[in-house]
Amino acid sequence: MSLQAATSPVRPWLSGMREAIPLLGGYVPVAISFGLIATQAGFNAWEAVIISTLFYAGASQFLFVGMIAAGSPLWLVVAMTLLINLRHVVYAPNLAPWLTSSRWWGWLMHTLTDQVFALAHARLPQLPEAQRLGWFTGAALLAWAIWVGGTALGALAGGELVARWALMGEILPFALPTLFLVLVAPRFTSRRWSLALSVTIASSLLLTLLGLTNVAIPLAAVCGMLCFQFVKFDTAMQGDHHE
Amino acid sequence: MSNALWIAVLAAALGTLLMRLLPLLWMQRRLKRLGDDAPEAMPQWLSLLGPLMVAAVFGVSLVPVTPGPLAWLATVIGMLATLAVWWRTRTLGWPVAAGIATYGAVVTLFG
Repeated sequence: MSLQAATSPVRPWLSGMREAIPLLGGYVPVAISFGLIATQAGFNAWEAVIISTLFYAGASQFLFVGMIAAGSPLWLVVAMTLLINLRHVVYAPNLAPWLTSSRWWGWLMHTLTDQVFALAHARLPQLPEAQRLGWFTGAALLAWAIWVGGTALGALAGGELVARWALMGEILPFALPTLFLVLVAPRFTSRRWSLALSVTIASSLLLTLLGLTNVAIPLAAVCGMLCFQFVKFDTAMQGDHHE
Repeated sequence: MSNALWIAVLAAALGTLLMRLLPLLWMQRRLKRLGDDAPEAMPQWLSLLGPLMVAAVFGVSLVPVTPGPLAWLATVIGMLATLAVWWRTRTLGWPVAAGIATYGAVVTLFG
């Protein structure tokens, strides 16, 4: 699973699935939690699974079932769900230069979550063109299937699982920050990028701690972008460069 | 679920899909129009946002499931272990495995 290897001797879809495995550590506990919370909110197991299949967007799903359970107007529920998912609009254009001409990409965009984007943004540019569709299909469909399967598990046996495997529920999600660290670390290529990335990470961490998880990602990214635009180092002295 | 609730589910799902799909179609059209300079065809703000969004996702994910002194200590040590293994191997899988193992060991030993 070398980050620098451009090609893989195994089939691309298998390689994609293998590289998506760290995502599962984060997806499984959250999906189980969603299934459990959805059933507690009055949805049955099938309805929870259908929501996970069609939405496939963690935070907004929790908000959706929570607002429905609280009796909020449906138009407001839909509007808030879409507002939370608005950050997704910048993901696909960032991948577009590395996507091939296949029509399947359009359908696969349904699977473009925060985590799948982070992985694909790092890996697609390193893969030969012929392997990209297979790699993305393997990685994205595995993550989607696990999300849907985890929801079903949570809806059917979530209470028992959470009680029995409480410690695993704390440890497994740590796969996500470790994966993202590995994806972000190579981006620290200059003082300018390092500062912008550090500001972004610190901002999103702080916003999350303040309970603003839903807006943390876009707001922090904007903070980082402003930092990148306005804080410039002397390129002759520091050897800074743009990527 | 009532019919109205089904419609709400479908509307939110369709809206989410369109937010993921339509920007791709826009960008693909733009790339086709601009030809060979594919990576350069992306507006600068958009190319900046990509890595920064990943960094923001990283920041959000750093907050432990159950925040507390032990969880934060385990997070810091786990991150250092991940970074050290990544620095040596420059791979994807080993740093993740090392990070989870370290985090789990700290939580289990001191918990």
